[in-house]
Amino acid sequence: MAPQARIGLIVTVIGFFAGVWLFLAPFIVEYQKVGQDWIDATKNDLWTGGALIAISVLTLILFGAFALRDAASAAEQRRTSEEAEN
Amino acid sequence: MTKYVIGATGALLGALAGVWLMLAPFALAYQGSGADWADPTYVDFWTGLPLLVVSLVGSILYISGLVEELRRRGIVRRPYAAPAEQPQAQGSPQANASNQDNMEQVLLPLVTAMLKDMQERDRERDGARQQSTDDVQQPQHTGEEGSVRR
Repeated sequence: MAPQARIGLIVTVIGFFAGVWLFLAPFIVEYQKVGQDWIDATKNDLWTGGALIAISVLTLILFGAFALRDAASAAEQRRTSEEAEN
Repeated sequence: MTKYVIGATGALLGALAGVWLMLAPFALAYQGSGADWADPTYVDFWTGLPLLVVSLVGSILYISGLVEELRRRGIVRRPYAAPAEQPQAQGSPQANASNQDNMEQVLLPLVTAMLKDMQERDRERDGARQQSTDDVQQPQHTGEEGSVRR
């Protein structure tokens, strides 16, 4: 895997934690009282945080799946070339 | 290659989310313009700005990884690297030696086939010459048998 992709993955993980923060922020910062109707800011933060979490998790899962597929095909190619040499 | 496209798409969506977070307090009007910023505005703006920056950096990294992969597969060329190196490599003694070896390998079967062909022709010619001398000698023998020696 290229070093840029590793740092890119770290960035995606940071996006995931930003989503978690947005999801919890209204209650941690206490601009949303527990048990009261949700204000506009809370709704916005929950929806945006949820979307960020979903995007980050999907990106991580799909990136991992395609990276595994690439690694498997590279290993297969190496094996066939070694067999052809022998 | 697909993994980089997915990563870049995710990072770009993250950047868009960052932009939205910075604008949302004003777009949804829970922050009055001109008034002091409320807590939700601080949270959204100062989460959105770093998210935008980090996601842009991430998308640039994913895209550079994609470009590198495309170069490695030969789909995209490096802009200035290859053409300057080739003429030097051709002029070097090692390159000349390897070219000679290649030439010999190409010519060797051709020369072998020509030699074989020449040998076969020589053999055929010798065989034909031998046969003609036999034909000439045979009537002399028959003549001798039928003739009366004096």
